[in-house]
Amino acid sequence: MSKPKIAYLPVSAPQFKGGERRSKSRAPERYKFGKLNEWVIAAREWYGWEHSYWRAAAMIFAFVLFLVSMSVSLSLLGQAIYAGMVFALALYLRNYTGTLFTLIMIVFSVNASSRYLYWRYTETLSMGSWLDTFFSVTLVIAEVYAWLVLLLGYAQTIWPLRRLPEPMPEDTMQWPSVDIFIPTYNESLKVVRPTVLAAMALDWPREKLNIYILDDGRREEFAEFAKSVGVAHLTRPNNNHAKAGNINEALKVTSGEFVAIFDCDHIPARSFLQMTVGWFLRDKQLGMLQTPHHFLSPDPFERNLGTFRRVPNEGELFYGLIQDGNDLWNATFFCGSCAVTRRTILLEVGGVAIETVTEDAHTALKMHRLGYTTAYISIPQAAGLATESLSIHVGQRIRWARGMAQIFRVDNPLFGKGLSFMQRLCYSNAMLHFFYGLPRMVFLLAPLSYLFFQAHIINASAVAIAVYALPHLFHANITNSRMQGAHRHSFWAELYEATLAWYIFRPTLVALLNPKLGKFNVTAKGGLVEKEFFDWKISEPYLIMLSLNIAGLLIGVVRLFWWNTFEVDTVILNLLWTVYNLVILGATIAVATETKQVRSSHRVNCNQKAMLKLASGQSFVCRANDYSEGGLGLVMPEADMAPLNSMARVSLFMGEREFVFPAKVVFARDTIVGIEFDQLSLQQQMDLVQCTLARADAWLDWDDNRVVDRPLAGLKEICYHSMRGYQHLWGDLKAGVQNSYRNKPKEVHPERGLFYHKEPSGDQIKQGFVRRKLSGFFRVGRRLLLRPTRS
Amino acid sequence: MTVIAVISPKGGVGKTTVAVNLACKLAAGGHPVRLVDLDPQNALRLHLGADPADVNGLVHQTLQQSSWYYTEYDSAYGVSFVPYGKGSEFERITFEAHLSQTPEWLRDNLMELGRDPNSYTILDTPPGPSVYVQQALSIANLVLVVMIPDAGSYATLTAIEGLLDYYCANRTDFYGSYYVLNQFDADHPLNRDIKTVMQTVLGDRLAPFPIHRDESLSEALAYQQPAAEYAPHCQAVDDIAQLTGWLQNQVDQAVR
Repeated sequence: MSKPKIAYLPVSAPQFKGGERRSKSRAPERYKFGKLNEWVIAAREWYGWEHSYWRAAAMIFAFVLFLVSMSVSLSLLGQAIYAGMVFALALYLRNYTGTLFTLIMIVFSVNASSRYLYWRYTETLSMGSWLDTFFSVTLVIAEVYAWLVLLLGYAQTIWPLRRLPEPMPEDTMQWPSVDIFIPTYNESLKVVRPTVLAAMALDWPREKLNIYILDDGRREEFAEFAKSVGVAHLTRPNNNHAKAGNINEALKVTSGEFVAIFDCDHIPARSFLQMTVGWFLRDKQLGMLQTPHHFLSPDPFERNLGTFRRVPNEGELFYGLIQDGNDLWNATFFCGSCAVTRRTILLEVGGVAIETVTEDAHTALKMHRLGYTTAYISIPQAAGLATESLSIHVGQRIRWARGMAQIFRVDNPLFGKGLSFMQRLCYSNAMLHFFYGLPRMVFLLAPLSYLFFQAHIINASAVAIAVYALPHLFHANITNSRMQGAHRHSFWAELYEATLAWYIFRPTLVALLNPKLGKFNVTAKGGLVEKEFFDWKISEPYLIMLSLNIAGLLIGVVRLFWWNTFEVDTVILNLLWTVYNLVILGATIAVATETKQVRSSHRVNCNQKAMLKLASGQSFVCRANDYSEGGLGLVMPEADMAPLNSMARVSLFMGEREFVFPAKVVFARDTIVGIEFDQLSLQQQMDLVQCTLARADAWLDWDDNRVVDRPLAGLKEICYHSMRGYQHLWGDLKAGVQNSYRNKPKEVHPERGLFYHKEPSGDQIKQGFVRRKLSGFFRVGRRLLLRPTRS
Repeated sequence: MTVIAVISPKGGVGKTTVAVNLACKLAAGGHPVRLVDLDPQNALRLHLGADPADVNGLVHQTLQQSSWYYTEYDSAYGVSFVPYGKGSEFERITFEAHLSQTPEWLRDNLMELGRDPNSYTILDTPPGPSVYVQQALSIANLVLVVMIPDAGSYATLTAIEGLLDYYCANRTDFYGSYYVLNQFDADHPLNRDIKTVMQTVLGDRLAPFPIHRDESLSEALAYQQPAAEYAPHCQAVDDIAQLTGWLQNQVDQAVR
């Protein structure tokens, strides 16, 4: 009997339905559509807008109003009343849905920030002693940077495009040929195998799909695997220019019309090509289309803080919002993986760029310079592994930061030919963003300049600072919460940046001075943190900043009551700032406490129909709850249906097709049954990937457990993590001190072995008492005010 | 009243099991359901917990020119059934001769029992062409052909289609004939291939979900219970539930 022909799934309705559902969770119902919306719509429909002189008049009026409201000098009380009114208005408008209200809030925010900066520049620069001048100017520069990035961020994400997939033509004869590149260097076959199998299962005419493993490790094992599954294995004699060079070398010996690139751990869904290639057929100038990098495992932040799938991770702001915002301005960046490129255009820009270590963004920049377009589809169509530990994560971010700084030097997007104004802004923001290292540290240490040296970095009274700075901070917060809330919770940026600030500050500076320095480091994937530990090495900078801030806090308290008590308000202001910094630093400590990873292959949640057939011949309807490379978690309709350690067969379904896998029951409690696959053949491995990780709908509901952002809840959660960070630190410090006291091996009890504990001495009882008191304090403190918001 | 005839080209394909479980599922959905056993094996009643020693059935009632009213039983599972009855070989021959002379026999007897428009009557027939199949096909609104995924079953496809064409195709009250694969095991490549081929040949007339091979069905018969009662969570019961929904959908569409 002939083998059944594979039917090509059209990009069908359910996938779009998933999109709708997602947009529901992104735009929570707390925004209402009211009378105000109707008035605004009516005002927008006014016929006068069709005449250019009315529009020009409105623009000039608005601009003048903006300048006046930014620069007019008010008394402290006047400023307080004015700022209070504007903020109240913003809080009121915040409740309404609609882009126009977002725009109004942006204008308020830009206005408040600009007014603050104007006031800082005109009235508060203290040019007294050289110490004052130095600190003062440093802080203002950091503030100008923050203001610039705020403005650029608004411009970049003002109106996310939210592009939908373009359907493919009915006739598959018209579909173009596609090469799949899977570059790898030192990753194990275990990591690469599912990616290759999923690529083979892509829904695309077989004769128009070629898969290449680009193996820079030149490994025999990979060549054998490629041969056994029937894909090509390409190697080259050297490793010049790392991944970029690897891809460029492969471009020379392949010929597909399009090239899709997947990092070796990014498993594509079978619908990937059908969701993406359509736009290339419609837009002949389209050079590259990017999809999000979605992660099936928690990154170090998510794992160590326990926030996986609940709080948006660090990368999500970029893939959820910024890329979509870039797409409006035709400025989507290439991100090196999960993307399709048009070969002719890629070759025209000289292949993947090799001048910098972020070859991907630079390649997109070159395409834009030649007038080609790029696109972004914000539907996860592939999933990969997140970085395993904080140190690896930091290493990856260092590379990105260095690469972006390099591009800023060697091919600055502000200058040169071919870019539109907005493209220049988008690229600049992407690069400027990575210079946050120094400003972030300035903010973390600024109050100390006063507490330690009595340097008056802001030459104004504490009250004046409050009435100017607070509106700036509050407006920025609520506006960003509205724009980014679904992709970045309030105050989390502070944590992400504080964790990385020290590490990216030096490489960006070095790259800015000499872009040639530094080499490409491969991000390791697929490792395992085997036991919980506190990463002392990586947290050195946090600990130093922490100690300084604590010292500042102590001095401040002393100054408040006993010594030098003449500037109480300024001391209080700086103390509050220090406490805020301590909260953020505490949370970075929590991030650096690596929690244990239990499994070597990650469990991915799912909810799909399955069937368990026991050796006795009975088969039961059940649901698959999660899967990993090695096995499945099943929910049975009744308790105790499958005997432990028995052999069984599990069926998974894809449409009307059924796939059977031999398995062994390795866990059974109540209705939960865990099975482990038993020696799958190559075909079965391929089928398994196809009905699990490579399902077209595999990643549609991933953000269903998302908590809606509320600024104060975000602050509360950061406080909670910070508290935990201090708790960990305290425990570790104490353990360290104790270990150094009794640095001898434990006595082994002759009868009861190692785990026998002697009666505690009086000293130890005293220590235990102190510990209980302290942990009691933490517990009570946490219960009272710092319980995290969980859905 | 919707009459569904369950037929099969070959014996041992689980036709009676499908008919009984289909009936139970329909009854669970709130329909009055009557099962009529036209198979001389007289096995249908055993699925519904009838007394094996009871020999009464429609053979005797017909030969005694009595009504089916006296041989219809209520089961504990929401369906009533009319058993074939257990008689001598002579009785069977006489009965079959009577049937071939009275083509309206089945219709008349069913009408006598009632014509509730909401109700379903399910006819279980012996395998292959026979006088019983003839009677059943002449009045059925809908025919369900039970197949197993092997080459032998597949080879009989044209014969069955011929039969359906002859008896059903031209009637205005005929909704259509549908196929279902029973005893399906995706582990066997041949099973999967036959399913694919049948899908190509039959298109929408093949039920999208086959009924899986499942020991629970045999065990249920040993306990004289419908499978949905004996092992409610087994895959085959779920498959038959899906099949029932699918068939009802076909009926609804045809009626509309």
